[in-house]
Amino acid sequence: MKLAIVVQRYGLAINGGAELHARYIAEHLARHAQVEVWTTCASDYVTWRNELPAGEERINNIPVRRFRVKHERDPLTFGRLSERVFNEQHSIADELDWLEAEGPTSPGLISHINRHAAEFDFCIFFSYRYYHAFHGARTAGARAILVPTAERDPAAGVSIFAPIFRGVRALMYNSPEERTMIQALARNESVPSVVVGVGSEVPQNPQPQRFRQKHAVKGPFAVYVGRIDENKGCRELFNHFNSYLRQKAGKLTLVLIGNSILDIPQHPRIRHLGFLDDTDKFDAIAGAELLIMPSFFESLSMVALEAWALGRPVLANAKCDVLKGQCIRSNAGLYYDSEAEFVETLRAIEFNKWIAGSLGKNGRQYYRDNYDWPVVERKYLDMLQRLAATPAAANAFEPQPGWMERRKATCPPAAQVVAATPIGPSVAPEMSIPRPAGPVAPPLPRRAQTPDRGRPAQSRPAPQGRRPQGRGRRSSGQGPGASR
Amino acid sequence: MPDFNVRSDAVNVEQIMEQIRARIREKRGVDYTEAQIKELASVKLEKFLDPRGVRSDLLEQFRRAQPTYAPPELPNFAFEDQTLFESTRGPLRFIRRLLLPILKLFFNPNPLIQALNIQSKLNASAAEREAKRDAARYAFDQLHYEVMHNLVIETTRLGIEVKNLKMRLESMASRLEFNERRARALESAVVYKPASEERPPQESRREEPRREEGRREESRRDESRRQDTRRSEPQARPLPPSPSSVPVAEIPVPEETSAAGTASTQPGAIAEGPGQKSRRRRRRRGRRGSGAAASIMAGPDQAGADQSTDDQGDGEDSAVDTAAEQTGADDAIEQSADSRDSRPEPLEHAFGAQAHPDEPATGDPASAPSSSSPVAPESEPQSEEPTSSKPSAPEQ
Repeated sequence: MKLAIVVQRYGLAINGGAELHARYIAEHLARHAQVEVWTTCASDYVTWRNELPAGEERINNIPVRRFRVKHERDPLTFGRLSERVFNEQHSIADELDWLEAEGPTSPGLISHINRHAAEFDFCIFFSYRYYHAFHGARTAGARAILVPTAERDPAAGVSIFAPIFRGVRALMYNSPEERTMIQALARNESVPSVVVGVGSEVPQNPQPQRFRQKHAVKGPFAVYVGRIDENKGCRELFNHFNSYLRQKAGKLTLVLIGNSILDIPQHPRIRHLGFLDDTDKFDAIAGAELLIMPSFFESLSMVALEAWALGRPVLANAKCDVLKGQCIRSNAGLYYDSEAEFVETLRAIEFNKWIAGSLGKNGRQYYRDNYDWPVVERKYLDMLQRLAATPAAANAFEPQPGWMERRKATCPPAAQVVAATPIGPSVAPEMSIPRPAGPVAPPLPRRAQTPDRGRPAQSRPAPQGRRPQGRGRRSSGQGPGASR
Repeated sequence: MPDFNVRSDAVNVEQIMEQIRARIREKRGVDYTEAQIKELASVKLEKFLDPRGVRSDLLEQFRRAQPTYAPPELPNFAFEDQTLFESTRGPLRFIRRLLLPILKLFFNPNPLIQALNIQSKLNASAAEREAKRDAARYAFDQLHYEVMHNLVIETTRLGIEVKNLKMRLESMASRLEFNERRARALESAVVYKPASEERPPQESRREEPRREEGRREESRRDESRRQDTRRSEPQARPLPPSPSSVPVAEIPVPEETSAAGTASTQPGAIAEGPGQKSRRRRRRRGRRGSGAAASIMAGPDQAGADQSTDDQGDGEDSAVDTAAEQTGADDAIEQSADSRDSRPEPLEHAFGAQAHPDEPATGDPASAPSSSSPVAPESEPQSEEPTSSKPSAPEQ
């Protein structure tokens, strides 16, 4: 089987959520299929400047093909169009202009997809909101699989995306909340989908003491890992933590790991260590009493999963449905909705070792059940096998409206559209598949022939005997946790 | 990795969160989320502002009053050198161009054209400036709206905060009251505890010989007093010994009772005036209230001295009181209440089990029938001693 991963940026130095997600998935699927990555020459997600050379290279033994970005993002134009599309009645032409302004506009990438998608079984697109996913999915047609990585922000309500959500062959969601939101927006319940998420490369034996010595961190501490930004809820975190510091009983220090674009309060118990490598990051998480996730919008917090994988409890912002839902489903984290709740939950974890220990234990199990690599790989492979076995609907994508239709200002403000979707965490436990018995999932069948674009795949024989005989494994072709 | 399950089912995050929220509610009153505060803000506007004639839907009206901003369409001020001679009709345009040299024979149109051209440019720039001003005003209006909106929300938040603080104040006041009552109960228990109970056995053993000696001394003194009385029978009665010279605990109670009885049977006893009874009650309350705390602060010895000094200062009043108290049954009841007050306050009183201090409580020693007697028991000599040691008014 040949798979193409299409993502806006790609590289070892790129630590963005969706980009890292794409790299992990590419590297893990490469054990079972022939994987190629198509991306742009940009490495900065704000400007989309061409910083990396165009052409082919190999990263961790994966062939990566880069295409130039036509123009950098103009922040003023993008801001003006965002304002219009998110908050005013607008037309589809406005939305297309907004998408073009958002970038990374790479017609070269789209024409490559147009030329070569037929050589691949499936093209997996990451991040629905960018140019490459919108135009690329339409170009790839029935081979397009989308990993939306959608957050609850106004972009999800832009009307041009609904046909994409309805037209792709399958959707790989990060969380049940994301699925609920997209299904409410696009009415795409009939599209095969599964809540997968992503695993992480968590070390087996982290060394908290090494971290403490290296960075002179003494006493118990809570850790935040990520960009220190107001949009990530860090200002609120600082206010709340100051309130915690005013109460003398607590002994926790707040350790911040990540680049900062926000003023950090000067206090001996607030330590900013800057950007650290993965080893230090995992050592820090392993040594922390808890991980704090103050973000308002997340489709999946990888760092929260890493904390759970290391048996650390998480304190999340309850305004983020996804994080709150994960805390409830896993029984592995507390959440706060106000300053008082922040202080009390922090104190509860700090002073009740039993609670902290139990939450950590649950977190480790939750990670093992849902986000460990064998589980994630199996979910992908199941979905790919299922799609390979079923015929693709012809012309699944709705045609784009005509010239006149595109210019009618009939689209409601995107923020309003998103606000109308159901909110709140999904508290029903996730359907998790049992861990595969072996460490490595069985390989996918080799691709027999290159199917033509849009051609139904029913002629291909359904794979047989490929499933590992895990405990309690279903015998049907539908992957557990998948929904129709 | 081995397939095992280590989930700790005893932890329920939602339950923990409920408990934490309950604790917060207990500590700070109701805890509102942002959404609730916003909801309350709108409700408050309607409920609170309407009666005063202020628009309740202020924000809504403000929002409606703000039309969607559209930049104004500027009029066409263009005026070029050919504008005067332009026409949509070709032949006319041709004729005008043909006759232009003839026109220029009559007057020079160029200055006119230049002036109009400058004027058109001025008009255009003024219109643009006006449009920019409009846009700025619109932006300011947006800001005002935001400020107003935030003010409403913050005002509501402050209102809630004030309410919470009031609740906390009330709760603290009730706690303070409770503590005061408890302190009073403890003070009474400490100050008015019988001396015999308080003293340790060793001390009482040490005091035995001293008491014997005192008794012998007292009997000698009685004997001499009797002799003096016999000697001065027709003359005035001698003054009793001063309280400073006589040990407080050793004053014999029967004597004191007889002295009081004598005072009550005196024909020249002062009659009680209007309002005197209530004044007396007030004085007693004042003495009672301050005495206990002062005695606690100064120690038991000083307390006794204070009390005696206080009573000495009120010598005349006390004498009047004592005399008046013997006059009627009403007064007897009052005195019984007074004597009851000097006993340890039962815990039921301290913790508010009784609605009124006069209500009998279970186990209240004051409610015993014997306590209503105007004569204090022997075990409480300090409370009654000053009255007996003071000279009574009729005798003076």
